[in-house]
Amino acid sequence: MKKNKQKPDRELVDRSFLARIEPYLYLLPFFLGIAVFTLYPVVNVVLMSFKEDYSYLTREFSQWGLANYDKVLSDPKFAQAVGNTLKYVLLVVPISTLISVIVANLLNQKLRFSALFQTAYFLPMVTSVTAVGLAWKLMYNKNFGIINYILSFFGIDKIPWLENAAWSIPSLVIFGVWNILPFTIILLLSGLQNIDPQYYTAARVDGSGSLRIFLRITVPLLAPTIFLVCIVNTISCFKVFSELYPLFNGKPGPFYNLYTVVYYIRYAMMENRKYGVAAAAAIVLFGFIFVFTMIQRVVQSWMSARKR
Amino acid sequence: MKRRISRFCMYFFLTLGAVIMLFPFFWMFSSAFKTTQEINKFPPQWLPGHLSLDNFRRAFAMAPFAKYFFNSVFVMVCSVGLTTFTTILAAFAFSRLRFPGRKLIFSLLLSLMMIPFEMLIITNYSTIVDLGLWDTLTALILPFTSSIFYTYILKGFFDSVSDSLYWSARIDGSSNWRYLWKVMVPMARPSLTTIILLNALASWNSFMWPMYVISSDKNRTLPWGLQVFTTEAGSYPELLMAASTVVVLPVIILFLFARKYIVRGVARGGLKG
Amino acid sequence: MRVVLDHVTKRFADVTAVSEFSATLEDGELVSLLGPSGCGKSTLLNMLSGILPVSGGRIYFDDQDVTGMPPEKRGIGLVFQNYALYPHMTVMGNICFPLETQRVPKAERIERANEIARLVHVDMLMNRKPSELSGGQQQRVAIARALVKNPRLLLLDEPLSNLDARLRLEMREEIRRIQQRTGVTTIFVTHDQEEALSISDRIVLMKAGVLQQNDLPQSLYNEPANQFVADFLGNPPINNLPGTVEDGAFVAADGKARCALPMLAGVENGRNVNLSVRSESFVLDENGPMACEVTRVYQMGKEEMAYLTFGGTDFRAYIDSEEGLRKGDAVRLSLKRRGVFLFDRETGERIR
Repeated sequence: MKKNKQKPDRELVDRSFLARIEPYLYLLPFFLGIAVFTLYPVVNVVLMSFKEDYSYLTREFSQWGLANYDKVLSDPKFAQAVGNTLKYVLLVVPISTLISVIVANLLNQKLRFSALFQTAYFLPMVTSVTAVGLAWKLMYNKNFGIINYILSFFGIDKIPWLENAAWSIPSLVIFGVWNILPFTIILLLSGLQNIDPQYYTAARVDGSGSLRIFLRITVPLLAPTIFLVCIVNTISCFKVFSELYPLFNGKPGPFYNLYTVVYYIRYAMMENRKYGVAAAAAIVLFGFIFVFTMIQRVVQSWMSARKR
Repeated sequence: MKRRISRFCMYFFLTLGAVIMLFPFFWMFSSAFKTTQEINKFPPQWLPGHLSLDNFRRAFAMAPFAKYFFNSVFVMVCSVGLTTFTTILAAFAFSRLRFPGRKLIFSLLLSLMMIPFEMLIITNYSTIVDLGLWDTLTALILPFTSSIFYTYILKGFFDSVSDSLYWSARIDGSSNWRYLWKVMVPMARPSLTTIILLNALASWNSFMWPMYVISSDKNRTLPWGLQVFTTEAGSYPELLMAASTVVVLPVIILFLFARKYIVRGVARGGLKG
Repeated sequence: MRVVLDHVTKRFADVTAVSEFSATLEDGELVSLLGPSGCGKSTLLNMLSGILPVSGGRIYFDDQDVTGMPPEKRGIGLVFQNYALYPHMTVMGNICFPLETQRVPKAERIERANEIARLVHVDMLMNRKPSELSGGQQQRVAIARALVKNPRLLLLDEPLSNLDARLRLEMREEIRRIQQRTGVTTIFVTHDQEEALSISDRIVLMKAGVLQQNDLPQSLYNEPANQFVADFLGNPPINNLPGTVEDGAFVAADGKARCALPMLAGVENGRNVNLSVRSESFVLDENGPMACEVTRVYQMGKEEMAYLTFGGTDFRAYIDSEEGLRKGDAVRLSLKRRGVFLFDRETGERIR
């Protein structure tokens, strides 16, 4: 069969010069910003990561090579940073997801005062991390903090939340979970609302109780959304930085023990002025994020294919 | 009866959770009004003895919070204004106008969205320094004049508008510019409101970038100014809490009014970003 | 304004949507572009408006070649199937929009808008938004918006398909009335043959991109150019009796039933034909040439609809009820002169 690929007929439009460049004029302001502050940096950082002994002041470098990556990947401090970051991710994501599933499900029931509950659960999302971080710091105070006071009622001794290396991890994690909960709940709530209520009705008619419905119907139907939310939160938790600042006065933990990847990049840049190394570390960070983003894309397209 | 109990349990747990979520705010506001003695007491005092704006006055005297506030507002208005403008134009171009490579360029932009700012900051920092804009308010505005994310959202809305409206306007002799501002933009009011709100929040709460590029007091924005204040007022938590309240209160008020828009915006964009 | 289409063609990839279409539409006429789904009528309309470029042929508005002209320069008004009203503007705002674009001063805008609104009977709705209007009202506003700039051609794309049956009857009369008041040349696209028959000055019938017949409505009904035209127009559909011709008589499909008809004189023997007869063209006649049997009878008030069979083929006929037919009756029918046609079964061309 002869495939006759015909060029589509020319649209009847104004062919004047101004009309032809019109789309580009609309895009110009947008692309100016993107070009200078997104495109150029991407290229620049990638290139920089391959410039050995890159000097920020003179913009000179000794040669192209993998020395920066070598430094990063063999640096025990980087390993520690990755370890800490992973610890954070592996604690915050599951805990916040678990709590959010329950809360989202509760919020999805037609209860009264839903506006009030929503406000309460969603507020941390819109407030400055720095400001609430300082409030938490006050609450975490070993001697005068309200948290230790409440715990004393349960017979628990004063915990050195922010002063002790071991306890600094739960302090950060609790704060992190609290911060990420609103976002997670919103996404799960929206996922819940996409579940056809007919499933619930059918289950009730079969005589299932609320808990059973929750475990056997809601959670499985919600599973793809839960998975996606975990991915998105993982990506966001990899970049943990601003949460540490107010709690520990700008330091990554009481004894630099909560050194994270973003802190590594910052120190490489600002303290050591080793931009090449910072760039390499940033690329490694992006590598992690990229992997998870791809997983997310695959799952999302699988999900929408399933819907048909 | 069983239903009653389960309902009660639900309310109980939700309320308990809500209290935990709101508690840090309660503590922040209550501490903002306490005196130095009250705040250092143990067992801690739940509520301040009396309400006075003393701490606020002192905090504002110790650090230029009024300036910080003004800076935050200024930067927010400028960057949100500029971003909204570029977003409207770009979303329209990608949605309605024809040019070669339209689809390809847009997908490339979408993939750029996953690049973390923490990576771009390395170059953006030196770009700002090279342009001589270090420690200026411009440095806080300039990198944030366009957003792929918001353009993606607005384009989504523009795509949903029926072709026939466009052709109707064209046949009447309307130009693209006129059609965009007289028809598309008014119709897009809900989406635009969401975008503007999310953008405003992000700008107001922005911490990392100001921390990198601003060093002098007169150019600090609220979150960064607040953090710096801890070095001076570290032993006076009541002042810190007063300052924190100033940072947080406008946002809370905004949230009370615009909760629906914000929540909807997060829900829609959450899985993409 | 006179519209001339000269061998207009539209191709999409390897599909030809409109093929060598030629027609002349006179000034002030209400013309319907009629045909089944996919026949190319909307495509043709879009080419007339300029939204779709032509692949071949030319279009003239009053001797001016507009084939390459963009839509905004053609001076047309277009009403979309979904009306395309701007949801955030009031009725007044919607109607004024074309005038605003033309920079007509405000006072004149409002006056012209009000005038047109009075004509289409939406003048009391000027402050409402489209979402507050009913389907029929929305359509009137859409028409008003198209007419307010005094276009030289008004195009309507399936204007009545989104309305319920009763509203459809009312609105088609309205379209007719408005068109006659303004005198603007109007072309409207429809798939409903009854609609086209009732209000058009002229019908252009299309099938698969090809013009079938361009004529007065009654002529399409009484003198169809081919089988398709005869089938398409008329309710109930025309009765097609397949058979052959033998010595001036029609022989039915079963090979046995015969019916001598004077109109068959001169038709060659053995030709495969359809004898197409309108339901109202049968007459009960005890001396008639057709011997049929009644299979069903429906009483419908003033007339009877009988289902009969001739030579193995079923057909419907309107029969005068005084006779009181019953199932199983054997009757003889003769055919009127009007409403009886002979078509070639293979090509659909009209023989008689």
